[in-house]
Amino acid sequence: MMKRRDAISQIALLVGGAFTAPTLMAMDVRKGNSSIVAADFSLTDAQRQIVSAVAEHIIPRTSTPGAIDAGVPAFIELMLKDCYKKPERNSFLKGVNDLAKANFLAQPAASQVAMLTLLESNTKDLMRSYSQKKIKVGDNIDKDTLEGANGVPFWRLMKELTLLGYYTSEKGIQASFVYEPVPGKFELITDMKPTQKSFVY
Amino acid sequence: MNLNIDAIKGQTFDAIVIGSGISGGWAAKELTEKGLKVAVLERGREIKHIEGYETAMKNPWEFDHRGRPTNMAAEEYWAGMRTGYTPAEEHRYLFENDKQNPYIEKKGGFDWIRAYHTGGKSLLWGRQTYRWNREDFLANEKEGIGTPWPIGYDDLAPWYSYVEKFAGISGQAEGLDVLPDSDFLPAMQMTAPEVHFKNAVNKKLGRPVTVGRVAHLTKPGKQHTDLGRSSCNYRNKCMRGCPYGAYFSSLSATLPAAMRTGRLTMVHNAIAAEIIYDEATQKAKGVRVIDQNTMESKEYFAKIIFVNAGAIGSTSILMNSKSNRYQTGLGNDSDQLGRNIMDHHLGAGASATIEGFEKDYMFGNRPNGLYIPRFQNWGKDKRSYSRGFGYQGGASREGWGRGVGADGFGAEFKESLTHPGQWTVGFGGFGEILPNPENRFVLGAQKDKWGLPVLEFSAEFGQNELRMREDMMNEAATMLEAAGFKNINAYNKQDTHIGLGIHEMGTARMGTSVKNSIVNKHNQVHEVKNVFMTDGAVMASASCVNPSLTYMAMTARAADFAVSELKKRNL
Repeated sequence: MMKRRDAISQIALLVGGAFTAPTLMAMDVRKGNSSIVAADFSLTDAQRQIVSAVAEHIIPRTSTPGAIDAGVPAFIELMLKDCYKKPERNSFLKGVNDLAKANFLAQPAASQVAMLTLLESNTKDLMRSYSQKKIKVGDNIDKDTLEGANGVPFWRLMKELTLLGYYTSEKGIQASFVYEPVPGKFELITDMKPTQKSFVY
Repeated sequence: MNLNIDAIKGQTFDAIVIGSGISGGWAAKELTEKGLKVAVLERGREIKHIEGYETAMKNPWEFDHRGRPTNMAAEEYWAGMRTGYTPAEEHRYLFENDKQNPYIEKKGGFDWIRAYHTGGKSLLWGRQTYRWNREDFLANEKEGIGTPWPIGYDDLAPWYSYVEKFAGISGQAEGLDVLPDSDFLPAMQMTAPEVHFKNAVNKKLGRPVTVGRVAHLTKPGKQHTDLGRSSCNYRNKCMRGCPYGAYFSSLSATLPAAMRTGRLTMVHNAIAAEIIYDEATQKAKGVRVIDQNTMESKEYFAKIIFVNAGAIGSTSILMNSKSNRYQTGLGNDSDQLGRNIMDHHLGAGASATIEGFEKDYMFGNRPNGLYIPRFQNWGKDKRSYSRGFGYQGGASREGWGRGVGADGFGAEFKESLTHPGQWTVGFGGFGEILPNPENRFVLGAQKDKWGLPVLEFSAEFGQNELRMREDMMNEAATMLEAAGFKNINAYNKQDTHIGLGIHEMGTARMGTSVKNSIVNKHNQVHEVKNVFMTDGAVMASASCVNPSLTYMAMTARAADFAVSELKKRNL
């Protein structure tokens, strides 16, 4: 088994070098360029195990359901297949394969956490090259945009899809928030307690 | 019995209204209530109020992609993708597939967002509702831009009031010249940081801030409940269609009102191909339609025709109505058909974070925000550009989405995202676009699947818009700063086009003479007096406020005139 320190340095090397390479295709979501829509996308069972493990690290089962309980791994694969194009898919697969090479699944939990913490820190540097803005795009409509030259980094995709998959799932919503699909009124609260759960509509 | 004559009888009405969107619905209501038998020709499929809103009551987890557009949708709704929201999974079924309904961008770009079904874009609009001010009608003449409006604020004021009472507009009276008050239902509340912002901006910069004026029922009256409409439930899922009829749409309000007169005939799937001109009477006698499914051609006849197919749609029908007398399109003596495409330009503003207000929160999802009326080139204020912009925006607490860009993962991180995050705030400008005759569309040589010409657009922002956008960005930052907000992020999105605001206007402008315009002050095509246009097509300038209310008021006014002219046998 690879020692924890070795695993971390390998990840650092892989992550540090790989994502800034200009080989990744330019992102082109705005123009709907069909040439970069891959015909199909699926993960191998080995890759699925890594995705599940990472998703569960992000949203672990506690007193409430975790990412795996809420079906997040399958959701991530579906989203990559249906909603993402080659640059993001390549970036994602590269990230999963880097973890495979670093023997991620064979590491003890604490080492896995350390690897992901490092991955997050490296991703932050990558994300600085992206322009992120909250833009008003219509009446009562805001949009967060993320624009950059390369495919969105693996960790960012993983985190975004895990949170989206979990916090919009039935289990995730029921366990995490006060779900009020028909609030019926708009009322100001002036004495909110720190324990207050978010309202989700 | 002569079947042919029977068929013509079945297709003959007092009035035809082309289109069932926000202005077509009003035409149908007003004309039927005044005793006319009316056929509404809707090019799209039928959607029934409430039962037709197929996604309205779905839970978030019932959308496979949790709202995100798929790659397939991104390709098919390529124009919609530019808006960033119309192809979203929950309401995509109410927008048109751009691949199936092609158009060509010759020069610059144009975002043409369409909704072909009962009610059109009245089901999808932002519901922000503002009267034009006095200066809006005078600016063209004063500045020598475009052509003068033949009507002014006083012509529309009683009709504004008339349509507001029926539609139901929530808002706060402020007594401002720049943003005349409507007949309001109770205003929606501002959140605590928004009140702070309003007071700071007012005190430090002398600018008023008000809560958005929206076509939502906050306290329904009998005229609303009689039609089955009820109060807003603060779900903010309006674009899926509202099962409570709480916001104004053709489906919730004007079409049911027209239907209860017993004089409305709705015809769906009927694409208006051309208006049939009678050279002898110099009037239009009917409309030829193509069934969108069977391709069958059919004619409908009437004494008057209201063209309410949306700015681009209405004008393209006139362009396609060629006769000996009008070889380049019905009523096009001035060569103005298709010219002066306008919209409101957006995508410039600023956002920030707010410290404090930790104990403030809200229950309910307000489908509305704040409004900052135009302050540029108003009173003593002078800018390096003409006209101006208003802002829309507001403050709210972050939800779980803040976790995406934040550090951390694991049990503690998971728990932290279940609570409301910090307050954030953002404002974006809605700017007036000047009329420019070179911003236009024409009928192209290519044909769509119904054999109708594919439209070719040439549209670009001018120096006035580009200068204004800089100011939209900077002034937003200035105001957020004045309120003491932090991490101010100012933006001016570069890759936007005319059309992105989905407030398309112009192309058959109203004017003082047949030489400079398509319709007169009564919305009649100058020399084809039984054809009325009352949608965005007739706008001679754009103001910076959301346009729908003005279309409603103009339509009710024109319908009143049309019926009185019919009674006087002038039509």
